[in-house]
Amino acid sequence: MPKEVEGEYEVFPDNPHKTYGLMAVVKGKSPVVDKSPEDTVMTWPHLLIRELVASVVVMAVLLAISLVLNAPLEEHANLTETPNPAKAPWYFLGLQELVHYSALIGGVIIPGLSLFLLAALPYLDRTPDRAPSKRKLLTVVFTVFIIVNVVLIVIGSYFRGPGWSFIVPWRGGSVQ
Amino acid sequence: MTEIIRLLSRFITGNRVWKSVFRAESPVTERGQSESIFHNVWLHIYPVKVRKDALRFTYTFCLGGVSFLLFLLLIITGVPLMFYYVPSVEQAYGSMKDLEFVVSYGLLLRNMHRWAAHAMVITVFLHMARVFYTGSYKSPREFNWVVGVFLLALTLGLSFTGYLLPWDQLAFWAITVGTSIASYVPWLGPSFKYVLIGGNEVGQGALLRFYVLHTVVLPLAAVLMMAAHFWRIRKDGGISKPL
Ligand code: HEM
Repeated sequence: MPKEVEGEYEVFPDNPHKTYGLMAVVKGKSPVVDKSPEDTVMTWPHLLIRELVASVVVMAVLLAISLVLNAPLEEHANLTETPNPAKAPWYFLGLQELVHYSALIGGVIIPGLSLFLLAALPYLDRTPDRAPSKRKLLTVVFTVFIIVNVVLIVIGSYFRGPGWSFIVPWRGGSVQ
Repeated sequence: MTEIIRLLSRFITGNRVWKSVFRAESPVTERGQSESIFHNVWLHIYPVKVRKDALRFTYTFCLGGVSFLLFLLLIITGVPLMFYYVPSVEQAYGSMKDLEFVVSYGLLLRNMHRWAAHAMVITVFLHMARVFYTGSYKSPREFNWVVGVFLLALTLGLSFTGYLLPWDQLAFWAITVGTSIASYVPWLGPSFKYVLIGGNEVGQGALLRFYVLHTVVLPLAAVLMMAAHFWRIRKDGGISKPL
């Protein structure tokens, strides 16, 4: 056990459990980039306790939601009875909305291109600046991308009725 | 108070049994704390020490970690669901009814699986946004962003394949609509759709394929990608510094 004297710390204690030997002391940076001993803390307990607490909170919330809200289950699947409108799962409703405008451009080209640009993003944006204020154009483009996604999903979910016609949910439109 | 905690943890961790299980000294000393991490197969992906500012909640909002936790919860709730679920067009819907009315806590199990799945889609998306706005995809983390995009696709794929399994009207028509979008891809689309649903229409072929994708292929792929994702975080020097 390293013995701790006030303000003093035995760095290389003579310890019977030690399975390594000190070969040499050299000057240089610590192999862990950008980290110095002063601004680090032990993973256990500091990080793991936090992760544990966050996990308990998430599990409690999930349990609470699951106790009060039941997963949907409609009638048995029926090939002859097409619901109108038939809707994809909510995260694909933006896509379905685009398909409604144009199958090829909306359903294939725009989503395909977006996905490609998303994956290639780190290779397209090659400036070293990380702060959003130093890469304004990209930040705006990405934010618009997110907003458009959300808006299309909301439209698809709540504002589309029979035949994919535009409906206003609070005027008697049905909500999926 | 801290003294009580200290004594308690010494009592729990300072004995031979603890030591034999964890191969580590009691984690009340820094040495014990280090050993608890790097002598543990599950924890050794963590560094022994982390940067203080990496702990800041308002930097990551725990979104990556919560996505991972939800994934674990989906596996934990998914396995017992598999005990009751039969992927046949005659029996699938009945399995759902059994879960609701016959199986103890069956409905709760199904609810948790369903809501965790929706939540995971949202947290993964928000996690991606966090990574973007903090510019954390920049060198040396470019490739981990790409791994992340694959994880996003896998998350959507897992959610989509699971959507069909209850075999109710909602499931059937959502997958019919969803897979028909795939067929708009010129040239490749129609055959991709045919292979995906095992026929021209959503039926027994589609149900079995989606079941296998949902319970075996995609979870396995996600586990492998997550392993790569976490490994890269470690190799890239931990998470990026707060701005
Ligand atoms: C199943 C999905 C995913 C899981 C479980 C996951 C998990 C994690 C975790 C636990 C971290 C550590 C930091 C944090 O919690 O924020 C992280 C960091 C990171 N993730 Fe993900 N992730 C997922 C999807 C994604 C996606 C969709 C992207 C981007 C397209 C992405 C890109 C990154 C990057 C670049 C980092 C490093 C961030 C930094 O250094 O600050 N991940 N991920």
